[in-house]
Amino acid sequence: MAPPATAVADALASPARPRDSRANIDIMAPTKGVQWPYFLALGAAVLGVLQALVVLLYQTYVGLGVAGYQQPVFWGLYIVTFVFWIGIGHAGTLISAILFLFRAKWRNAVNRGAEALTVFAVITAALFPILHLGRIWKLYYLIPYPNQRSLWVNFKSPLLWDVFAISTYASISVVFFYIGLIPDIAIARDRATGVKKAIYTVLALGWQGTGPQWKAHSRSVLHLSGLATPLVLSVHSVVSWDFAMSIVPGWHATIFAPYFVAGAVFGGFAMVINIMIPVRRIFRLERYLTDYHFENMSRFILLTSTICGYAYAAEYFIAWYSGVEFEQSSFWLRAFGPYWLSTWCMITFNVIFPQLLWIKRLRTNLPFLFGLCFFINLGMWFERYVIIITSLSREYITGSWGLYVISPVELSVLAGSFCWFSMWFLLFLKVFPVIAITEVKELEIHARDHGGAH
Amino acid sequence: MPTLVSVFDLPSTTAAAVRKLKDRGFDDLRTYSPAPFEELEEAEDPKPSKVRRFTLVGGLSGVFLGFLMQIWMSLEWPIKIAGKNFASIPPFWIVGFELTILLGGFFTLFGLLIVGGLYPKKLDKHYNLRFSAEEFGVVVNCEERDVAEVEALLRGESAKEVTLADS
Repeated sequence: MAPPATAVADALASPARPRDSRANIDIMAPTKGVQWPYFLALGAAVLGVLQALVVLLYQTYVGLGVAGYQQPVFWGLYIVTFVFWIGIGHAGTLISAILFLFRAKWRNAVNRGAEALTVFAVITAALFPILHLGRIWKLYYLIPYPNQRSLWVNFKSPLLWDVFAISTYASISVVFFYIGLIPDIAIARDRATGVKKAIYTVLALGWQGTGPQWKAHSRSVLHLSGLATPLVLSVHSVVSWDFAMSIVPGWHATIFAPYFVAGAVFGGFAMVINIMIPVRRIFRLERYLTDYHFENMSRFILLTSTICGYAYAAEYFIAWYSGVEFEQSSFWLRAFGPYWLSTWCMITFNVIFPQLLWIKRLRTNLPFLFGLCFFINLGMWFERYVIIITSLSREYITGSWGLYVISPVELSVLAGSFCWFSMWFLLFLKVFPVIAITEVKELEIHARDHGGAH
Repeated sequence: MPTLVSVFDLPSTTAAAVRKLKDRGFDDLRTYSPAPFEELEEAEDPKPSKVRRFTLVGGLSGVFLGFLMQIWMSLEWPIKIAGKNFASIPPFWIVGFELTILLGGFFTLFGLLIVGGLYPKKLDKHYNLRFSAEEFGVVVNCEERDVAEVEALLRGESAKEVTLADS
């Protein structure tokens, strides 16, 4: 039987006429073409990484003494910065997993950038315990591996829990990031040519958006969200137990796990805002990253800032109420000892400044938000500095007290870590879409299909 | 066997077309969508995804192997730490939990690759880059005698184009 005339007519009219969606064009635009300011920024980041590398080679050759490690402070800037970067890495998973489970649709515009930020923050953080080892070639001692002496790692040590927590978090963050990227890589593949097309073709794994593929994808994202939610809460809890499981005054507190997790979410959101504001401006993504998104993130910042403020107050209250002289001295010295400036910076930047977000107009004022989040990041770094340095430098015996001074080597590595993070983020911007295109389309098409209601 | 390639604008009409096709016994079909839509997934295959089995097996393997590893290693080189048992269970929950998540996550990824048939391969003959833009596709294989009925059915559900691709 001959096919119907209409079908034949359609076949002749060639339905394969390409027509792209606005979301594809707008969001893929940043990946196309490279201007000189981008090269300048990338070049500066790479130079920053190289200077840190040279300094680290020097440190590895000479020893950790050049990194300011001396009695009584042997957990210095590297551990402070490690905790800082791990904390930054929390916003991505929170936005991707927890807000996904809560069906908060506004996350769709910010989750990709936040996930990328998580991955790069965690790989930055993971460097610091390695640098802190001094003998970095002994790195493999951290993992349980079969050896001639049948020596195994100590599974009762919080430091080992941390090895497992961080490596699990890094792995799951990468898996989550990649699974989310697959449909968007396919979009890029369909529109690329040459070498780029070949690379995207391999990375897209034959994705075509068929029914079984979407079904498996949606279920995988749901299951990974279910797994990543307790994981994200566990990671900073485990980091906090590095401190809380010891008996050092100022560290030995049961409040540490929730206190650290709230602080991590707080700092993470601040970093997301600090990065997404320039990204939106430079790449003209105002249609997708609206004031509404920034307002919602500001609300998270306000909530978590208040939790941090409560935790700070609870720490001081319990130190006083416990009647333990060492705890009381430790907290008195935090506020009025040699490191008073860091403590007051921490309280001002993390608790007092964010209270301005009660004012609705400020929650959508992007220059204000950018400045506020910069100070919050500074404040969160100071928080870790205060916790680690003040407690270690003034432990029990006054004779062993000391004063910790940041060394130029540590400062150089700290600057290098920001450059390392920026370098990866800049490369990401040119390779993958910074907003999850399919998730934006899901909302747009759904709204079109159901008259704007979703 | 003839293949009809149809293009739709909305997920609801695409899902309605798929449901009608399946009701009429035209099961040899495939949909293409630019974004995930539950109604479309349900219409094509209402059964729960098999990915969940991978996640479950991965998670259970993780917790089992996590505890097994720690207990065995602690007993193989017994050192008394803080007066606790060599194999003391409470602290082992941390690493046990992390490995549950780790293996659960990796198995979920493998599940996606296996169930979704994801590996670098040649794309379908009827896949079109319109389906990674904003349009939906339904590709139906049917007997030559059914072509007219399938076309009518697709057009009846607002297919904006129906093409007889090959026979």
